[in-house]
Amino acid sequence: MTLNLSKNGTGMIEFRGVNKWFGALNVLKDITLSVEPREVVVVCGPSGSGKSTLIRCINGLETIRDGDLVVDGQRLGDPATNMTRLRTEIGFVFQSFNLYPHKTALENVTLAPIHVRKIPRAEAEKAGRELLAKVGLADKVNAYPAQLSGGQQQRVAIARCLGMRPKIMLFDEPTSALDPEMISEVLDVMVAVAEEGMTMMVVTHEMGFARKVAQRVVFMDAGAIVESGTPDEFFSHPKTDRSRAFLSKILRH
Amino acid sequence: MIWQQLQSLAGSYPLALRGLGMTVMLSLVSLVLGTLIGFGLGILRTGGNRLISGAIGAWVDLIRGTPFLVQIFLIFFILPELGVELDAFTAGIIALTNLAACFICEIVVAGIRSVPTGQVEAALASGLSRWQRMRQVVLPQAMRIVLPPLVGQYVLLIKDSSVVSAIGLTDLTRVGWLVVQRVPNGLLVFFLVGVGYFIVCYPLILLARRLEQRMGAAHGEVQI
Repeated sequence: MTLNLSKNGTGMIEFRGVNKWFGALNVLKDITLSVEPREVVVVCGPSGSGKSTLIRCINGLETIRDGDLVVDGQRLGDPATNMTRLRTEIGFVFQSFNLYPHKTALENVTLAPIHVRKIPRAEAEKAGRELLAKVGLADKVNAYPAQLSGGQQQRVAIARCLGMRPKIMLFDEPTSALDPEMISEVLDVMVAVAEEGMTMMVVTHEMGFARKVAQRVVFMDAGAIVESGTPDEFFSHPKTDRSRAFLSKILRH
Repeated sequence: MIWQQLQSLAGSYPLALRGLGMTVMLSLVSLVLGTLIGFGLGILRTGGNRLISGAIGAWVDLIRGTPFLVQIFLIFFILPELGVELDAFTAGIIALTNLAACFICEIVVAGIRSVPTGQVEAALASGLSRWQRMRQVVLPQAMRIVLPPLVGQYVLLIKDSSVVSAIGLTDLTRVGWLVVQRVPNGLLVFFLVGVGYFIVCYPLILLARRLEQRMGAAHGEVQI
């Protein structure tokens, strides 16, 4: 079965025949995938299928063995590509938030703008306050991460990414570590970001989110992309046995 | 008889003060230098360069694995053979600074490694440079782990400074040896020498304990 995932090679994120191994384990198998500017792609699949590894490769938290990975026109692993510079264009939201515990919410948001983008402190703080207000945390500007709930921490983490005005946002299971009642507050923020036209790749099993904003759902299993389609196609008419088995498990409850 | 000895001891107090001054001076200079170098070594040790990291590791092991007295003798007696003239004070400072740097390097490395990987990844993902990641994200968090054992190490190093009396520096311990020749009451003399060290070290011991308690409270540890 061949999947025509790459359209014309002008994507914001372009995987072409990407392979990656952890030791003897082939964690990414011949991945070819193109994400267009302003497109929202949801990646799902069973645990250990390589979804997190896939998006971690995009900002160089993982390196690839072979194939091409081109992000915002720059080829990863190319000596001409300044990885640190490229990372400033890519926001990354972690499952475990990874806020800096010794800095307040506002300091978390302004750290990179001040030190990497060299924006004057006053200006960065003004923008930071606006961003925190946008994610519904105007009153938590001076709170430390330990004083915030999981949902609030994840919203600060999203604001921290937005502070860099990135071209791409990557989300690695952003709601998996949250108590159920906090999931929707984070998803609402993600929907708002998507609706503003951000290019996004989101590893998640949140079907509601996928149906609402994703143009495409990519299903991975054992390191390979098995199926790809619109949320409607994928959830209503999964094409492969593996995706049907996966959906039956996550939709059972 | 004990009265005479006490009078004689009282007469030696300028010498005792000089000794105490020497001990404090040696400790202060070598701890400040040792802390700066120790942090530098610790940061380099956890950096990406395998050669540098390996070399530092080997040096630290070597220093930790040999007696301080032997290190002092090597510096004081061998270096002049190689054409490097050293007075006893400089040799003492070099030896103590080196010892302090090596122990502090290990403490700093442990602190840096205790910072969760996710913190470094978050800093990486937002485009911070290596030095910015260290300065803004890793070191402030590592300091919480580093501070209590660091202060504890200071106490050990101040006491280790007594070894420099072996190369003729008139520190507190050597003053003890000098005085005991005039006042033949070793118990009394070295009791007072011990008191001298204790006066210098005790505030640091208290500080280390307070830092540890603050750390425990910050981590919400169960009170035993």
